[in-house]
Amino acid sequence: MLQCIFLLSDSGEVLLEKQLTGHRVDRAICDWFWDQILTQGESLKLVPVIASPTHYLFQVVREGITFLACTQVEMPPLMAIEFLCRVADVLSNYLDGLNEDVIKDNFVIVYELLDEMIDNGFPLTTEPNILREMIAPPNIVSKVLSVVTGSTSNVSNTLPGATASCVPWRKTDLKHATNEVYVDLVEEMDATINSFVLPGFSVFLSLFLHYSGQLCSGSPVCIDGHPKQLANVFYLYSLSCSDLSPLLILLLLRDGNLVKCEIYGEVEVNSNLSGLPDLTLSFANPLIFNDVRFHPCVRLRPWEANQILSFVPPDGQFTLMSYRVKKLKSTPIYVKPQFTSDSGTCRVSVLVGIRNDPGKSIDNIAVQFKLPPCVKSSDLSSNYGSVNVLADKTCSWTIGRMPKDKAPSMSGTLVLESGMDRLHVFPTFKVGFRIMGVALSGLKIDKLDLKNPLSRPHKGFRALTKGGEFEVRS
Amino acid sequence: MLTQFGATAESLSKASTMVFRIGTDAHLYDDPDDVSIVPLLDSKFESEKCEALKRLLALIAQGFDVSNYFPQVCSENVATQSLEVKKLVYLYLLHYAEKRPNEALLSINYFQKDLGDPNPLVRAWALRTMAGIRLHAIASLVLVAVGKCARDPSVYVRKCAAIALPKLHDLRLEEHTAAIEEIVGMLLKDNSPGVVGAAASAFASICPNNFSLIGRNYKRLCEILPDVEEWGQIVLIGILLRYAIAKHGLVRESLMLSFDDLEIQSLEKDDPESSHLTVKRPFDGSSFDIYTEIADIVARSYLEGPDKYLARLGHVNQDSLGLDGSCITSATSNDDVKILLQCTSPLLWSYNSAVVLAAAGVHWIMAPKEDIRKIVKPLLFLLRSSGSSKYVVLCNIQVFAKAMPSLFSPYYEDFFISSSDSYRTKTLKLEILSTIATKTSISSIFLEFQDHVRDPDRRFAADTVAAIGLCAQKLPDVANTCLEALLYLALSESSNNAVALMGEEEILLVQVVKSIMAIIKQDPHSHERVIVHLVRSLDSMSAPAARAMVIWMLGEYCNIGDLTSKMIPTIFKYLAQRFHSESVETKLQIVNACVKVLLRAEVEDMSELRLAISYVLELAKCDSNYDVRDRARVLKNFLSHCKGFNYLEEADNLTEFNDLTYVFAEYIFGGTKKVPSESFSYRFYLPGSLSLIVLHAAPGYEPLPEPCSFADDETSHSPTNVHNDHESNDIDDSDDISGSLDEENTSDYSSGSVSGEGGDSYIASDSGEDEEAGTLIHLSDDATDSRDHDRVSVKNTSSGLMDAGELMSKRALESWLNENSGSGQNSSNLSHVQRSLARISIKDIGQLVKPKSYTLLDPTNGNGLSVLYRFSSEVSKVSKELACIHVSFSNHSEGHMCNIFLAEEKPNPSPDSSEKSGSPSESVLVSLDKEATLIPMEEIDRLNPGQTADRVLQVRFEHHLLPLKLVLSCDGRKQQVKLRPDIGYFIKPLPMDIESFLKKESQLPGMFENIRRCTFSEHLNQQNDKDEPPQKDIFLMICEKLALKMLSNANLHLVSVDMPIAANLDDLSGISLRLSGEILNNSVPCLVTLTLKGTCAEPLEVSVKMNCEESVFGLNLLNRIVNFLAEPTR
Repeated sequence: MLQCIFLLSDSGEVLLEKQLTGHRVDRAICDWFWDQILTQGESLKLVPVIASPTHYLFQVVREGITFLACTQVEMPPLMAIEFLCRVADVLSNYLDGLNEDVIKDNFVIVYELLDEMIDNGFPLTTEPNILREMIAPPNIVSKVLSVVTGSTSNVSNTLPGATASCVPWRKTDLKHATNEVYVDLVEEMDATINSFVLPGFSVFLSLFLHYSGQLCSGSPVCIDGHPKQLANVFYLYSLSCSDLSPLLILLLLRDGNLVKCEIYGEVEVNSNLSGLPDLTLSFANPLIFNDVRFHPCVRLRPWEANQILSFVPPDGQFTLMSYRVKKLKSTPIYVKPQFTSDSGTCRVSVLVGIRNDPGKSIDNIAVQFKLPPCVKSSDLSSNYGSVNVLADKTCSWTIGRMPKDKAPSMSGTLVLESGMDRLHVFPTFKVGFRIMGVALSGLKIDKLDLKNPLSRPHKGFRALTKGGEFEVRS
Repeated sequence: MLTQFGATAESLSKASTMVFRIGTDAHLYDDPDDVSIVPLLDSKFESEKCEALKRLLALIAQGFDVSNYFPQVCSENVATQSLEVKKLVYLYLLHYAEKRPNEALLSINYFQKDLGDPNPLVRAWALRTMAGIRLHAIASLVLVAVGKCARDPSVYVRKCAAIALPKLHDLRLEEHTAAIEEIVGMLLKDNSPGVVGAAASAFASICPNNFSLIGRNYKRLCEILPDVEEWGQIVLIGILLRYAIAKHGLVRESLMLSFDDLEIQSLEKDDPESSHLTVKRPFDGSSFDIYTEIADIVARSYLEGPDKYLARLGHVNQDSLGLDGSCITSATSNDDVKILLQCTSPLLWSYNSAVVLAAAGVHWIMAPKEDIRKIVKPLLFLLRSSGSSKYVVLCNIQVFAKAMPSLFSPYYEDFFISSSDSYRTKTLKLEILSTIATKTSISSIFLEFQDHVRDPDRRFAADTVAAIGLCAQKLPDVANTCLEALLYLALSESSNNAVALMGEEEILLVQVVKSIMAIIKQDPHSHERVIVHLVRSLDSMSAPAARAMVIWMLGEYCNIGDLTSKMIPTIFKYLAQRFHSESVETKLQIVNACVKVLLRAEVEDMSELRLAISYVLELAKCDSNYDVRDRARVLKNFLSHCKGFNYLEEADNLTEFNDLTYVFAEYIFGGTKKVPSESFSYRFYLPGSLSLIVLHAAPGYEPLPEPCSFADDETSHSPTNVHNDHESNDIDDSDDISGSLDEENTSDYSSGSVSGEGGDSYIASDSGEDEEAGTLIHLSDDATDSRDHDRVSVKNTSSGLMDAGELMSKRALESWLNENSGSGQNSSNLSHVQRSLARISIKDIGQLVKPKSYTLLDPTNGNGLSVLYRFSSEVSKVSKELACIHVSFSNHSEGHMCNIFLAEEKPNPSPDSSEKSGSPSESVLVSLDKEATLIPMEEIDRLNPGQTADRVLQVRFEHHLLPLKLVLSCDGRKQQVKLRPDIGYFIKPLPMDIESFLKKESQLPGMFENIRRCTFSEHLNQQNDKDEPPQKDIFLMICEKLALKMLSNANLHLVSVDMPIAANLDDLSGISLRLSGEILNNSVPCLVTLTLKGTCAEPLEVSVKMNCEESVFGLNLLNRIVNFLAEPTR
């Protein structure tokens, strides 16, 4: 079980410590941890489980704040990580985001929350709705009150009724003036795209050409060219050498661009319903789901039988289910990077455009990539949007809404380190976008029914698709 | 719509941090100690208390030690009604309780009060905090509280009770284990899923192997599992799995037994893709799948723990799991297994990744092999959750994939690497990809790999190359393609290197050559071309490790084809030229290669080669590096008789010795050795465990229980019965004793009460003892007693008294046994103990007792009136709840004083109260109910200068710590004074003999018993002061001193003083004093036993044992005793 939780700022300062068991953990562990971060670099920040000489550490980093938990004994590591994530969620929900200041300002609430969330290293109450009833979130009214009167208590005097009920995620006696329930489909598109000229492809081909050049005493051909050209070269090679492995044919025939394209989606519900409502939600095409995951309130039997979601919702905003739809065939936008090197400089051009019009406008488009370490200086400009190169060689191109009349493009030159002739590592482009009103997976909600309606609720549906892990390799 | 909202939220949050920081606790965090905290803590206003506590909390958060505020926080604020203050106090208290145990104990009463609060939240908090204090002294109290709360109507309180149990268990109280486990069992039966989850976690940390608790409600636990909250689910799944294995054993169709399965049925391979991977099993010759072997290792590791398994692997021949048929069950026929699998499968859809992984673990171990497939998709979906859990999940998948690659091979796309992955995640994915690659997927995987080879992170690129090598070794069909790709990479990389020499680039090149080498090893003959290419590019390779490997290959495969043998002379010329500029690593390989070439090469032009080689060896012999020189010398010796090298040797007679060296050389460098098959030294830990991630057994890691190790016996007795018996006995006895009470004068501690009540084991004292002034020693042993009555002889006999055990009377043995069983020792071996006891009686100690006196008012404050008080051992005749206090008033002033009077402080003292109180009249007696705390004393009319008047005050204290506020009026002036209570006088002596004492004591075991230790050093001063009084025995002196100290500070009755006969001259260990008393207001007996340890010349270690049914009172009294024993008498 967890022994201690520390909150660290992004400069390694210990913001808070909360001892959980009798096995006290000294703060020195944080110094050790931070030393490791400093010596091993930021990559350690991404390692969730670290074995220090005295303790096992679990860390979750959220918006610069490191949540560090310690234990000395065997326990499920995912439990610790999941719990820390939950703490981070609850805190950022309570405090409207996370940063060093906001935690310092509300340290009492953080302590009180942690005390309710975990006891003796075992999670106690983690349901956000219940926590809200036990400890009031800081809001403007209470802050003003506390300035005026000098005293407010944010600790509730009574135990939330839900802790005793059979529906532990919901208050027992809820009254809402407006009965309404909103369902949002929020989808993220994860895609990996190889841009048109595959560098890996060229490795293979050039290898063969090189080889054939050696063996058939022909001269090696330079192959930074167009695929058609490559195909020709390859054809020549196949004439000279008869034992083509089937693999290479596959390479050529492969359509290629879309390595992976899938949707990760969440069904988010905002329910403001009185009493104990029993809802059922059904989809028009439930078979497209590849994987699903449900909020604890969902009854699993109806889903197993008929793919119907039957549940008593918690009050307010929550994620009812998350799902994945795999093997999508196309992406809404394309990004085409091109690099041509020539004696120490490299010409870059990146084109962005709409491939399959989703029917709604695409906005919040942003392209981000990291210049290779061998680049000395860069000069990049775009015909639309703004380009920004940071000190750590991160280049971000913010486009915003896709213009109707022209295709945005960015171009410029990169100057390589002296001695480098041409670029031989290429960056990966991360692409962000947003499309309102469309669920690109094609998921359709059929209907939402309320079993025990006190009054007819107002129902609403929305959809949204964002770019998730959308990557274009050059 | 969303955008707008997002924008406003953002600006709002910005604004709020700017403006509304004022309303938060920011200033408290920034300058927590800019005001003095103490007055705030003592403030009457909740808000100020709150602020003070917040400041303390801020200091704690910033790592300061503010434990010095502990007394204030505890004494003033624990009793608060405000929940916020309570919460803050609890937070503070828990942080420091262990550091300040004594002060923490003071707050226990408030918690006990809170436990009876109607608000469940208050009850739960009180329980959580009380258990969180973690002091041995209150463990029994907490246990009672937990037991009570475990039956609480509120679910939340019961849940907190379950969580409190591990806190108790942490204290390692052997005597409470049974009681704790019983409560665990009870909570596991709870109706509410929330409680069951918490109880499961308690079970897992307290008694993970007490399967009988699970066995009783296994089915119900399975059914309730989906409703248990997520954290409880994680633990409960693990428990159920362990139970099922311990009860029913492994499942026949599962992966765990696939190896045995194969052995028995010699199963046909169903996976044609990997059929080429079947290898010969060395010891029985049967064909088997390499993966099955891994699965077998996995199974063994799960059952035995990998460390044990691997240690055993060295010397014991592998055999099958060693399970006979009885330990194997079937998933289709066994209901328990079936229900477990059924109830865990919906959990694979859980939102909590830990739950999913735990459920997957159950299926992995218990489900039939064809059903394991259902865990794959949920596991893969976890990879999309958060970055942190992704890594952990991948570690688990890696193990699954190693044992059963076919599970994941269709889903290879999910392991494609995204640029946002961390380095460790990337390498894990690479490893998994190379494990699960099949003929059909390899082309897509390679395409990915090619992209990664160009990754800016060269470390990762090198790992990719290694993965390509692994794939090629696994799938020989693609080996050629891989090799060619790698070769190209090697050539281009080495040319790149020539241009830009970067340290990072080397990694990749070395890895490329390494991978090529690994592939070539498998089938060197078909890859001659590759070797040639590599050797030809040697000139452009700069990385020493890569060069060394290429040269190794050259030497190793120098005779596989025409091309190489043609090249060799040239190459060696080149090497000879470059030798001086090579690194040590490469030089060593060159020397090796020389020998190999000479041994096997079939080169036409040997002379040229010989020249080059001998040149190289000469160079090596003169190298600056020891290793190179030594190796060159040894090898040259070896070579002296190789063919074609003979001319270097002058003497050409081949002696046997030379033959031998030749054989050695052949043996070492000659024959083409078979690559030894890969040994599996993976460490497999249970899925979902921490040990799996850190790759060593974390403390507390336990492998699966031994299959079928748990036989369910329904007749297992519950330990409650014992307990209940004790309780009922206690009640009876206390009735008896309180009934036999009389109003005897208990201030008389004559020895008569001890010696007169001696049992049948006592030998009547003879003439010798009367000479001893007031002291004597009774030996509870006939033989020794009759031999000698002198103390000195006791000591003498004690040293050589071997037969004392036999001679010891039955009575003494019994009493001794009782005493020890009370302290929870193992009584089974007590019958063999050979010790004997002597009883010391101390006479006339009653006269020596001088209760400590305290100052109520000193003359400077009281205008010359000084008031002292001391607690009296008398018992009030008015009510048994009243304590008697002797108050002495003395006039130190010049003039006389009149009308001195002490009365209770009242808001409005009625004018006639002083008149009425002139004498303890009937009305006072009548009005004496709960409210009356003081029976007013007789007024002192006149006190002349220098005169002293004594009065007796009868007082009822509210609490043993709260001082009583009184008003002292003198000459009409009123003055407030505080009368501090002493818990030592909340009791009165309870005369009893040693038998009844021991009997009583034996009825108050376990939670009614508390032990604390302290040191007693007063006897040392004594010794120093008056240079050892010769007539007094030092043992006696110390016992007397101790008894006096006890009796002067607490109203107790001295029952007996025992010393072991076997004691050494100077060793006081074993001497025990027994004292008894009963609580004033409810006549509950309190038994005190002091046991000494140590020698006369050093401070003694005294362990004070308190047996009292009123645990709280007993504990407080115990603390008081320990305190006054430790503090010196003034």
